[in-house]
Amino acid sequence: MIPVQSTADPLVELRDIRKCFGSHEVLKGIDLDVRPGEVVALLGSSGSGKTTLLRCVNLLDQPTSGRIAIAGEPIFDRTPDGRDNARLKGRDIWAMRSRVGMVFQQFNLFPHMNVLANVMEGPRTVLGEDERTNRERAMDLLAKVGMADFADRMPTRLSGGQKQRVSIARALNMRPAMMLFDEPTSALDPELVGEVLNTMITLAREGMTMLVVTHELGFALEVATRVVFLDQGAIAAQGTPQQVLLHPENERVRTFVNRFHATAELMRPLLST
Amino acid sequence: MFDWSVITQNLDLLGWGLLVTLRYTVIACLLGLVIGLVIALAQLSPLRVTRMAGMLFVEFFRNVPLLVWLLWSYYALPIFAGIRISREAAGILALSLYGAAYYAEILRAGIQALDHGQGDAAKALGMSPLQAMYRIILPQAFRQMIPPLAGQTIIQMKNTTLLSVITIPDLLYQASYISSFTYRPMEVYTAVGIIFLIILVPSNYLARRLELRNH
Repeated sequence: MIPVQSTADPLVELRDIRKCFGSHEVLKGIDLDVRPGEVVALLGSSGSGKTTLLRCVNLLDQPTSGRIAIAGEPIFDRTPDGRDNARLKGRDIWAMRSRVGMVFQQFNLFPHMNVLANVMEGPRTVLGEDERTNRERAMDLLAKVGMADFADRMPTRLSGGQKQRVSIARALNMRPAMMLFDEPTSALDPELVGEVLNTMITLAREGMTMLVVTHELGFALEVATRVVFLDQGAIAAQGTPQQVLLHPENERVRTFVNRFHATAELMRPLLST
Repeated sequence: MFDWSVITQNLDLLGWGLLVTLRYTVIACLLGLVIGLVIALAQLSPLRVTRMAGMLFVEFFRNVPLLVWLLWSYYALPIFAGIRISREAAGILALSLYGAAYYAEILRAGIQALDHGQGDAAKALGMSPLQAMYRIILPQAFRQMIPPLAGQTIIQMKNTTLLSVITIPDLLYQASYISSFTYRPMEVYTAVGIIFLIILVPSNYLARRLELRNH
């Protein structure tokens, strides 16, 4: 099945994004569009720059040069020689971030607040929303991620999977136009990965626009509308999950995918006994 | 040997002295904390100028002896700056700024030691740096910093005894006054030491309890 290519204007436009840490160039000129409703999986081995690219989208990391537009509004535009064509004021950057949800590998729940307060914190502090509407929506979202019974718990008393589901609810409570996921299941015990992936699958089915850095090839294959493979700071391949993962043309992608098959092969004798 | 009647007969003077000491301790600590927080934030600022200013402040006050700085702010500052300040104001100013340098270092270290993910999560929700600081970073950092802050506050209280050199009638000033007409310095200064112990040992204990409760 080939997904219908969305023709709507892109929610995220990245043009020639470069990022250097010292003399090391982590991103070497990335072009990427994410259209409304798309679920884009960013794959690649560690050190390929996927997380840095994701963090550039909401300017948690600032590119060294390149252009970024969110919903058609330029939020960053710096030429390779360091001249700024567009420079957002702090308050505009904060407003942009409030419309882009983000989920982190290490969850980053606020440990001094209980689960409900974590979910309510964004709208309370950033939007100044009234307590009642905020609380009702927060409880609905906790129910949606299966954490309603834990509203009064402190984060330290949750499992990794539970923490990650709360952090998804926390991001959703800002009613974001899109969601960024930074290896959301990489810090989880294997048996907890499923509950987080299920939550993300539900979100994707509801039409949420998602940019997901992940090592879960299964998720990419089943849920992503497009797969982007990064290698040493550049896009090595992109296309539908079937094209990229099942019939890889690119050599690097093939080695990457085969490594996963190899681990699966190693497991086989263990599974059959 | 020890003639404790010297103490009992002058309890009122010691009492007044203690009140003055406590008042200066509280004011200097609160002011010191507020100024210290501003200095700590300046040191963490993305702007080079403010970072440098914060660093200079801390280095200055940590390397000038408090006694020198105290005498200087009372006797020399008015001459240099051409303003007249009361000895009370000079005392408060000197103690607060001196304490602020140490508080600033504690606060800066506490803020920097906090997991960067917390700041990332706050920013990703759309918080301004200031919102992230008072909603997310400081509440967590403060908990970690209770023991060093309490320790510094105790030092601050002991430092108030230096105020007697600019003739502020604190506990130590009253003690030297009492011994000047009773000729019993041994009893008087022993009593002052005991008063400090009675106040500071339980404070220390309380601070430790507070720390444990937060873990």
